Amino acid sequence: MKIDKIEYDKAGEVLYRYEHSSGLKAFVIPRKGYSKRYAAFATHYGSINNEFVIPGEAGPVSVPDGIAHFLEHKLFEQKDGSVMDKFSALGSNPNAYTSFNQTVYLFSCTDKFDENFGLLLNFVQNPYITQESVEKEKGIIGQEIMMYQDDPGWRAFFNLLGAFYSRFPIRIDIAGTVESISKIDRDTLYKCYNTFYHPSNMVILVVGDEEPQMVFGMIEAALQKKEPIPEIARIFPDEPAAINKDYTEQSLSVSIPIFQMGYRDNRSDKDGIEMLMHETAVKLLLDMLIGRSSALYNQLYSEGLLNSSFDADFSIEKEYGFSILGGESPDPMKVKERFCQAVDEAKSNGLDREAYERLIKAAKGRYMRQFNSVERIAHSFISVYFKDVNMFDYLQVYDKITFKYVEEIFKEHFDRANLAMSVVKPV
Amino acid sequence: MANTIDAEKAVKISSVNGIEVYRINTEKFKTSSIHFFFQDNLTRESVTLNSLLPAVMRRGSERYPTLGDISKQMENLYGATFDCGVTKKGERHIMQFYVEFLSKRYIPDSVDSFKEGLELLYDIIMKPALENGRFREDYLEQEKDKLRILIEGRVNDKMSYSVDRCLEETCKDEPYGIYDYGFVEDLPGINSEALTNHYRKMLETYPLQVYLAGDISDGDTKEVLDRLSGLKRGNMLQLGSGFIEKQPDKPRYVTEPMNVTQGKLCLGFRTNISPQSPAYTSLMVYNGVLGGGIHSKLFQNVREKASLAYYSKSMLEKFKGLMVISSGIEAKNKDKALDIILKQLEAIKSGEISDYELGATVKSMETSLKSLGDSQLNLVDFYLSQTVSGTWDNLTDIIDKIKQVTKEQIIDSARNIKLDTVYFLTSQQDGSGNGQEETGNENR
Repeated sequence: MKIDKIEYDKAGEVLYRYEHSSGLKAFVIPRKGYSKRYAAFATHYGSINNEFVIPGEAGPVSVPDGIAHFLEHKLFEQKDGSVMDKFSALGSNPNAYTSFNQTVYLFSCTDKFDENFGLLLNFVQNPYITQESVEKEKGIIGQEIMMYQDDPGWRAFFNLLGAFYSRFPIRIDIAGTVESISKIDRDTLYKCYNTFYHPSNMVILVVGDEEPQMVFGMIEAALQKKEPIPEIARIFPDEPAAINKDYTEQSLSVSIPIFQMGYRDNRSDKDGIEMLMHETAVKLLLDMLIGRSSALYNQLYSEGLLNSSFDADFSIEKEYGFSILGGESPDPMKVKERFCQAVDEAKSNGLDREAYERLIKAAKGRYMRQFNSVERIAHSFISVYFKDVNMFDYLQVYDKITFKYVEEIFKEHFDRANLAMSVVKPV
Repeated sequence: MANTIDAEKAVKISSVNGIEVYRINTEKFKTSSIHFFFQDNLTRESVTLNSLLPAVMRRGSERYPTLGDISKQMENLYGATFDCGVTKKGERHIMQFYVEFLSKRYIPDSVDSFKEGLELLYDIIMKPALENGRFREDYLEQEKDKLRILIEGRVNDKMSYSVDRCLEETCKDEPYGIYDYGFVEDLPGINSEALTNHYRKMLETYPLQVYLAGDISDGDTKEVLDRLSGLKRGNMLQLGSGFIEKQPDKPRYVTEPMNVTQGKLCLGFRTNISPQSPAYTSLMVYNGVLGGGIHSKLFQNVREKASLAYYSKSMLEKFKGLMVISSGIEAKNKDKALDIILKQLEAIKSGEISDYELGATVKSMETSLKSLGDSQLNLVDFYLSQTVSGTWDNLTDIIDKIKQVTKEQIIDSARNIKLDTVYFLTSQQDGSGNGQEETGNENR
């Protein structure tokens, strides 16, 4: 068994890496002195993958919205009952989540890591789905969907994605709708499983005080499929280059308008490191323009147009990208206007170099702070992994990034034509 | 391995003039932190002042007079974090201020991050930006408006709103029923003189706890003690925790109508077991069996068997002696869900506790307690909470006690617990009341 040990001296961290014959890659990030162990088994398959070619079949197939998330719920069910109960008996915390492009199964424990890890490796590889249990799950997921319908931040977010994209499936709620999940059946779940849950499309990560040799040995013994499969054909609708609309609103019982706005980013041809560079640059720019130390944030805060709920972020994947700025405001349109003014001013007067130097320092420190938490490490690692990079590549990014590069990204990303806004208003 | 989980134990360094200083020394994190907790009793008179005070103080200090100046300093300190606010633990109202920064060994230049972090926090707490000896009017007026928005914004998160409201209804005639952020109606009456006087009162008379966590040297500790020794203090306020026993004859039913898709059903209970009582450990296990995770009766019966809810769980409020059960359900299923929930309580009372339920509960509590030491903020909160409840156990002792809890002791806890209030947040068309109390015609 060949194990690579990669040392990141700047961060004081070590990464162990191993590749199985099936194409699955596995990683261990040690945490000396921590009680908690965390393991994740993730597939590169999420809510946006609702059209694809099943290996061995000729044409593409379309599946109901929300099926990746539904499958996530159903995978915990095994022939002899719910595997949740087995984790529970060990006192560990199993969980799972589905995002736009990945489904992650995980547990954390402080004791009997190998038994827990064995359960994880086993249940993710062995689905046991009956039509009866599929019907029952529709009630639970129906309540989950309804819960999110009352969540103003979540609604503002998906309404904004719907404004960015006309057809791209990111605009659909991850859990689907009560209507779309009603069409889910056992056979379709298995089709999705068989397509996307092959080890070559998956990754395993362990964070905690465990021996890499033992972890990789268990993986070697537990993986049932030994051969890689070819790349899965994922099909996406043709998305127009222009945003769908620049404004959308909804009414809910909230006390004050809740808004999200941002720019759709059409640069999707970048490789992994370039994506991290791009992401880091846009995040720095958001901080420079409207972060806590910026003149604009301080003015808007003093005028009562923003409060400390305000936040800004940027996401980029191979297929999509967008920035989001959001919070509560009595007058979201005014916030948008003032932000656009600040962008225009920076375009004509240039960006603040001093702020850039200060903010990159802050970004490095915040990056380091993630290593305090086992969960944060795992989440960061998995969330960038399917871009063909890992979280330690940010160290390279901080070395490589320059003011000039950030200036270029500024001109490219903050394009008024790609700006949309979503508001949830009080009833 | 046995004593490693207590490796990050808080050690009391000093206790003078109502100021207690604790140190949690560990090198396992990349950051260190400094926390100040000023404590008051939760009262109708001071709640809004207490809540407004940190909001105004965070706006600026002598050395860093604006929000922007404070933010810039934190960015220069490699992305340090500063925050402050209020929270309630039992009937204590706690004003907290903290700063977290990269520990010295990870700072690439020669900056002494502890010293800088302490300097910033100390400046904000001890030397606020004043004008003519009072808080700045503009900051005060702006923060009053923001606090109003925050208080009115409680409804935006329906899950936490429904749980808070349920407990407030349960304790509606007791200080615990006071919302920690205070009252909108108090805001117009607060001027900068009143707030400045309140600030002086806090500095001089509120018991203060200071926690230093992370990679803390003896020199760092001394620096903190030296500074605190210069602080002028008066007569210390006496603090209570608010624990009471109560045996309601029958539950109150409260329905709150709101435009929501999903109804939230919350049940408030009196546990009648104080955190200092030996029976408190059994109560923790009871809560775990009832609704403390996926192994619990509520999760298994309300969610997994009846498919009525995505979540159904129970939580203890340790200091005041409360328990709350919360579920998100479809409004039309309210009676059905209530019936299943109450059956779970009866089942435990009559001794229906399987070995699996008990074993999984104990193990899961053990896991959570052992994991506490992996987070600086959780560690600080753990020790702060113990000072409120008047206990001082280490993690290993608590785990040992939990392992010894028997089914009989759990049944005893179950018999002490009394349902006080049934609270239902539901859509306008389903709500039979209009914010009013219903007459409880069910005989539970």
